[in-house]
Amino acid sequence: MSTPQPQNIEFAKDDQGRLVLMDQDGVRHVNVRPAKLFPLTEKDHWISIQSEGAREILCIEDPQSLQEPSRSLLLNALARRDFVPIIQVIHRIVRLADGHEWHVTTDRGNTSFEVETDESIQPLGRGRLVIVDRRNTRYLIPNVASLDRVSKRKLEHYY
Amino acid sequence: MVARLMTDLDAGLHFRHGLIVLTNTRLLNFEAAGTGQPSFLAWRLGDLQEFKLEEMGATIALQLMGNDTLLGQWRVTSGSLRQAEAFIARFREQRRILSGEDTGAVARDNEIEEDEEEVFAAEDAEGYIPPGKPLLRLISFARPWYRLLFLGLVLTMASTGAQMIAPWLTMSLVDDVLIPLQSQTERVHVHKVYVFISELALAAVLTWALNWGKTFVVARIAEHVTSRMRRETFEHLQRLSLTYFNRKRTGDLISRIGSDTEHLSLFISVNFIDFFCDVLQFIFTAVILFSINPLLAVAALGPVPIVAWLVQRVREHLRGGFAAASRAGSQLTSVLADTIPGVRVVKAFAQEKREIERFRVADKHIFDTNDRVNKTWSFFTPMIKLLTDLGLLIVWAVGAWSVAHDSITVGVLTGFVLYISSFYERMDSMSRFTASMQRAAASAHRVFDVLDVKPDVPMQRNAVKVGRLRGEIEFRDVKFRYGSREIIRGISLKIAPGEMVGFVGPSGAGKTTLVNLACRFFEVSEGAVLVDGFNLSDVDVMDYRRNLGLVLQEPYLFYGTIAENISYGKPEATRAEIVAAARAARAHDFILRLPDAYDSMVGERGQQLSGGERQRISIARALLVDPAILILDEATSSVDTETEREIQAALDHLVKGRTTIAIAHRLGTLRKANRLVVIEEGLIKEIGSHEQLLEHSGTYARLHQAMLEVAHA
Repeated sequence: MSTPQPQNIEFAKDDQGRLVLMDQDGVRHVNVRPAKLFPLTEKDHWISIQSEGAREILCIEDPQSLQEPSRSLLLNALARRDFVPIIQVIHRIVRLADGHEWHVTTDRGNTSFEVETDESIQPLGRGRLVIVDRRNTRYLIPNVASLDRVSKRKLEHYY
Repeated sequence: MVARLMTDLDAGLHFRHGLIVLTNTRLLNFEAAGTGQPSFLAWRLGDLQEFKLEEMGATIALQLMGNDTLLGQWRVTSGSLRQAEAFIARFREQRRILSGEDTGAVARDNEIEEDEEEVFAAEDAEGYIPPGKPLLRLISFARPWYRLLFLGLVLTMASTGAQMIAPWLTMSLVDDVLIPLQSQTERVHVHKVYVFISELALAAVLTWALNWGKTFVVARIAEHVTSRMRRETFEHLQRLSLTYFNRKRTGDLISRIGSDTEHLSLFISVNFIDFFCDVLQFIFTAVILFSINPLLAVAALGPVPIVAWLVQRVREHLRGGFAAASRAGSQLTSVLADTIPGVRVVKAFAQEKREIERFRVADKHIFDTNDRVNKTWSFFTPMIKLLTDLGLLIVWAVGAWSVAHDSITVGVLTGFVLYISSFYERMDSMSRFTASMQRAAASAHRVFDVLDVKPDVPMQRNAVKVGRLRGEIEFRDVKFRYGSREIIRGISLKIAPGEMVGFVGPSGAGKTTLVNLACRFFEVSEGAVLVDGFNLSDVDVMDYRRNLGLVLQEPYLFYGTIAENISYGKPEATRAEIVAAARAARAHDFILRLPDAYDSMVGERGQQLSGGERQRISIARALLVDPAILILDEATSSVDTETEREIQAALDHLVKGRTTIAIAHRLGTLRKANRLVVIEEGLIKEIGSHEQLLEHSGTYARLHQAMLEVAHA
């Protein structure tokens, strides 16, 4: 039932810096956008390539199978769009009148964000946890068990 | 006697016991007539024409006809329907035997008799409630942890014993050190004081350590037991049929598994163990006191039987009270579980006031029941305090008199007072034990209540494993009764593998019931459902349902990601399969637009999806398990026409090559159906293709006409 990954596709960049896709039939699509199908659980696979009108053109199961420079172009484009900081240390979680405020260290540096309700902390199975803040940014804890002891204890109050 | 039937109502619908007896040649009727002489009637079978049975709501009327006149009339409550039917069957057999029409009747007689016995046996088992020893039954749940239990017992005894050391040491401290020091009659070495103090400290530390161990071990046992209860109750619930869930309120079931087991855990880990320690302490104290001075011991322990008697009195009062309080609490939960998910309906009809009133009534009910319980209970606690104070007074009085007469020393009196007051301190909590025991017994009863329900779709032993089916379904003379209502009244229909059949008909005609029978959510009352030639009641249910795909009117999504929801029926599905199923169900595009795509959380607390979107996810879910038999129960009823078109496209994909039963009010949904079956009042009215049925100009044509008129209005 699975759709096979299209062969012989290429990415390029045009003069305006837009991502261009040459699909398996040789059709040129300008300004395509990559999107992840499983941004939290399988972020390195399953990339959907969408046209300007947000229609899916094709889907790439494994970007590593692409030839260079297509691969780097795609991965760069993804990296530019993708913003899911990974929480490494939890310093403080402060109860506010509505929701709570987190002070954390992520793989992108120190930050703090506000979370609306306890429901914004969602388990994704196998110890994965995603926290959605007020501005709809997603923060990921890939494995709760591998957090340090102090962070875990802080987390315990809310999850 | 050939057969008998107990009647429980008279012709005027008052409860009155009667008995109809069928013998070889006669029919006899006995009826209790209140205070008067019981009435007795008899007919010869040859004079009788017919025994008629008619369902009249919750009761059943039996009418005996002879010579075209009504000879007798009885009523029974609907619970006796099957017995009444069996009795009438026997009556007819017997008349046929008499008239010499039927020679094979004897053999059939036996069959019926067996059936009847089964019916009685089943009813006995259902109505039987195990005797009220729910707490004793808890012990059976603790069996796997008997080693831990033994450790807990040893620690409890040791820690209680350790508590006895301190007053014992105090006795010598007073007699050998303090009094000599004060009276200065003899020289006392100061280091003796240090020895006593350090001994007392040691005793305190020992008690602390043992108590710690005891508390932890006991809490762990309690946790084990309640976790096992929770697990087993939930497992049992999963085995129960849909009919059970239809009867029960969700909030009530939730509170049984949630809070009632919590009460039990608290009871075992705190109340029960405290009580056990108190009893031990009582025994230890009694032994020590009697060994020192029997007279004073009698005086000190005298009030105990009075308190015990009082406890016994109040126990009866509290028993019903706590059960009522627990019920009142779960009623409140039900109101909440009802109103909060239905908040849109509440607001739309501007019924907030009514819901507030409903809540207020439930809350008032809690207040009243608790208030009643508190009345008894609040009297009880100070009463115990008063009694213990009196008890201590007696010790002081008898003790002072004994000291004056030099029969005991001051040290012994001090020891006595310490022992007895530490015991009386516990008296208060000991008395609370009755209350907590009642509460726990009520909780245990409510949990076991669920555990004792027998699944009405019984688990089959030696059930046939069907494996992968071709998908042939046959209804053979199927009847289904719910209570006294006959919903399916004899349906025969054969559906070929890969055929799509549409069920059409007014609401309440029995379409969904028929589908539920095909899924074996319900058990047929008569007849049989066959799949690929296997009788469904001989088939392993789980194995059979792996062949089923279900798309319901209200798609239910669990709390979890979209990917998890799609792979619900096949958790081992690969991501490629999930994406492919979503594509086939036309769900891929909208899923991609969600912020977390396939990782978006949906369900009660998750992302809000429209009805059509949820329906497409549930179609993807059905597609992924690749079912041989597909059930579409009003799959497109709750969405707009535009969305319906998209769902229809997804469904067309799903239907291909599968046996499909589709129920629909919108006849357009059924355009791909090979045959349409019109069902009315539990019977098949018409069968045929769309065109055939229109030509026939019967019920279907009428429905179709009505739809067109609505569409053009």
